[in-house]
Amino acid sequence: MYRSIILFVLLCSKAVAHEMTPTYPKWGITYIEGVKKATMKMVNKREDVEWYEIDVFDDKWKPIPFVTKSKIFKIKYLGHKKFDVYINAKDSERTEYLCSTSKLIGDGSTKPMLETRICSRFK
Amino acid sequence: MKKLLLTIGLILGITTAPYAGTNIDGSVQSRCTVETDTPGTYGNPNAYTLTTLPASSGQVPIVRFDVSLANAYYAQISYPTSFSSSPSLSDSVTWTGAVAVVQTSTTDMSGYQAASTTPTTSMRQYALTVAGTTWFQATSVATYGGGQNKAFPGGSYSAVVVAQCIAQ
Repeated sequence: MYRSIILFVLLCSKAVAHEMTPTYPKWGITYIEGVKKATMKMVNKREDVEWYEIDVFDDKWKPIPFVTKSKIFKIKYLGHKKFDVYINAKDSERTEYLCSTSKLIGDGSTKPMLETRICSRFK
Repeated sequence: MKKLLLTIGLILGITTAPYAGTNIDGSVQSRCTVETDTPGTYGNPNAYTLTTLPASSGQVPIVRFDVSLANAYYAQISYPTSFSSSPSLSDSVTWTGAVAVVQTSTTDMSGYQAASTTPTTSMRQYALTVAGTTWFQATSVATYGGGQNKAFPGGSYSAVVVAQCIAQ
């Protein structure tokens, strides 16, 4: 009986979250000299959002140049994506945060929308 | 027969596995998820006000933060301070709002009372000191006309609540 209730609740509840890991990524080496790489994973459980943007910042929240396959990318609802972020080795030491931000599209209704952002930190 | 089998099983168990200690190694990966618990709507109690307050037929948006480890993330929540509207507005909008903790997965909410103000006054920062779930609400009220209380032009008005999970 309880199993049926739990299953019913799980089936009825909507997954609506934005998630990015690891919390504390590390810069790793690449085959290109002077370039470092961090690998991140994102999960999109927000049905209302399909696009996310990546940014890299220093400890004062100033942007740091970086390279990735696409800065803004699409993740389908309940989809996940693994992506690499490349950075100049000189910049890697002052890098503090790597953030993903949801990109919102208005649907013409009068309401507050939620922009979610998750920032991992280089320690 | 059942007793005999049980006895044999126990004897075999003891003789074949004299040491039954088992180590389970592992670590909990810190993780934060941010999600909309309750979507917000604006009520229109008079021509010049849009508000999420339930008394004015609005609905306050509730944001849910889930963290797998305590003291790994800060939550930063901001109530809206601008509209993305259609049509665009010719006069200014005055915003007021508040961010508050609605509930946590623990009964001790003392750690969540002292939110610090981040560089923007509309944003509040909370250290997520409890592993589990914390719900925040972001109330907002917008009045049109730069203090002159002018009627909002007809159209749709979207505002953005920002919810951030920043690794500590």
